[in-house]
Amino acid sequence: MGLDDLLNLFVAAILLAGIYTTMSIGMTVIYGVMKMVNLAHAGFMMLGAYFALEMSERLHIDPLVSSVLAVPVFFLLGVATHRSMVRFVPVADEPTLPSLLLLFGLWLVLQNVGYGVWGADDRSIFSALTMATFQFKGIVVPVIRLIVFGIALLSLVALHLFLHHTWFGRSVRALTQNREAGQLAGIDTGRTAMLTFGLGIAFTGLAGALLANLYSFTPEFGSSFMLRSFVITVLGGLESFSGVAIGAVIVALIETFSILVVPASYQHAISFILLVVALLVLPGGIEGLLQRWRRLG
Amino acid sequence: MSVRPLLEVEDLEVAYGDVQVIWGISFTVAPGEIVTLIGPNGAGKTTTLRTISGLLSPKAGKIRFRGEDLSGRPAHEVVRRGVIQIPEGRKLWPRMTVEENLLLGAFAPRARDMAHEQLDRVYALFPLLKGRRRQLAGTMSGGEQQMCAIGRGLMSEPELLMFDEPSLGLAPLLVDELFAKITGIAKQNVTILLVEQKVAHTLEIADRGYILETGRTVLSGTGKELRESEYVQRSYLGT
Repeated sequence: MGLDDLLNLFVAAILLAGIYTTMSIGMTVIYGVMKMVNLAHAGFMMLGAYFALEMSERLHIDPLVSSVLAVPVFFLLGVATHRSMVRFVPVADEPTLPSLLLLFGLWLVLQNVGYGVWGADDRSIFSALTMATFQFKGIVVPVIRLIVFGIALLSLVALHLFLHHTWFGRSVRALTQNREAGQLAGIDTGRTAMLTFGLGIAFTGLAGALLANLYSFTPEFGSSFMLRSFVITVLGGLESFSGVAIGAVIVALIETFSILVVPASYQHAISFILLVVALLVLPGGIEGLLQRWRRLG
Repeated sequence: MSVRPLLEVEDLEVAYGDVQVIWGISFTVAPGEIVTLIGPNGAGKTTTLRTISGLLSPKAGKIRFRGEDLSGRPAHEVVRRGVIQIPEGRKLWPRMTVEENLLLGAFAPRARDMAHEQLDRVYALFPLLKGRRRQLAGTMSGGEQQMCAIGRGLMSEPELLMFDEPSLGLAPLLVDELFAKITGIAKQNVTILLVEQKVAHTLEIADRGYILETGRTVLSGTGKELRESEYVQRSYLGT
């Protein structure tokens, strides 16, 4: 194991962290504003993957371009889901059984719709870029992963600007940090929840379509990624958008480097173990830890 | 009083589920007045303000603002009409800067265009906030946070400003400054409804007051009348 191998693993981990952040952020914004854990996350990610596939097979649109097109399409899908179902769940300050059951049920429905429409076969998307790599000082970088990383990063920059510089973005952060103060400032919580659900699903669909460029998928697609999103969101402190990026880097590094010591088939177990450790040791996530340090220092 | 009241609360009843806490509260606030609600913990003062703000729905009774019935309207519609509450415990957004907190105070559509002019006015009233505009609100002291909360409330140019226990947790020196700021705001034509535990202080600046006990209005009068009332002196002023 030389230095080159370690560097290769490190680069691979960072590239992975980009898509992991985009994948988790949708869950985080929804949790932040609505205090609901989106158990249908995997279902929407799966739809995102098949969206890229259909666009590529039927309309011959490049799957990377389709990922970007997924953003408005899944925003509308999220808004429609909120209007038709989610808004009827009573508002609460923490996840409630009705919200969990509704979204879990929705996931099952989406999965079975997936089986009905696309069957159970493993599907994947090939493009000219799928196998391309380039080398830089001994580090091998798959081109497709670099582009996926770039799109993920751009989406996060756009989200950051949006959350900090628009009235709607500020209202999302306000409701995340103190819901009642938001109401007293005149924020229409129902409307904000609807648009936030759309925003969260837009990112989830984008992530699913991007991941379809990297991995094969079936209607089960997304469940292992949903688990990782949980870990990342918990590490990030549930409500902190910058914490999510840190959480994603940690999960990506641990996953990538763990293949040095444990067989790749244990990767699921690693996510689970991380989740348990995070909940036991860091109940407030990285953000909570930093705050504790600041208070001490 | 010949002037039509700005706010009229009439036979208000409010319950949390099966537990009724307000059993018929009535009071009015005329334009330009400082009116105070006084009473022990559990008398229903905070619940009354929360119901006016639309965070709770009344079980019975009316809340009229400029003659329009607001009872049961959602909070954002109440805010749009210029009825603003500065809640107990400040309730700032801790991981946002002071300036972001203030700007969001102008979220209501009618206030957005004026947000930056209004920001300057708030900074003129609270110069300390200007120096701290880039600081995260959660890292300020209680007194500074209260100033920020009041500033946020002023951002939408309110017609009626409701304070819930603004002096809670403040050092005695800051309490004097706080009351001076409240009277200063009242002089700028903002009508004020004040809920406060510091009864002596409050009755000095209030035009009128209402005593609430166990969810009912038991006594009302001008600030002076209440200060001199034997009942108020015995029960609230400890003399």
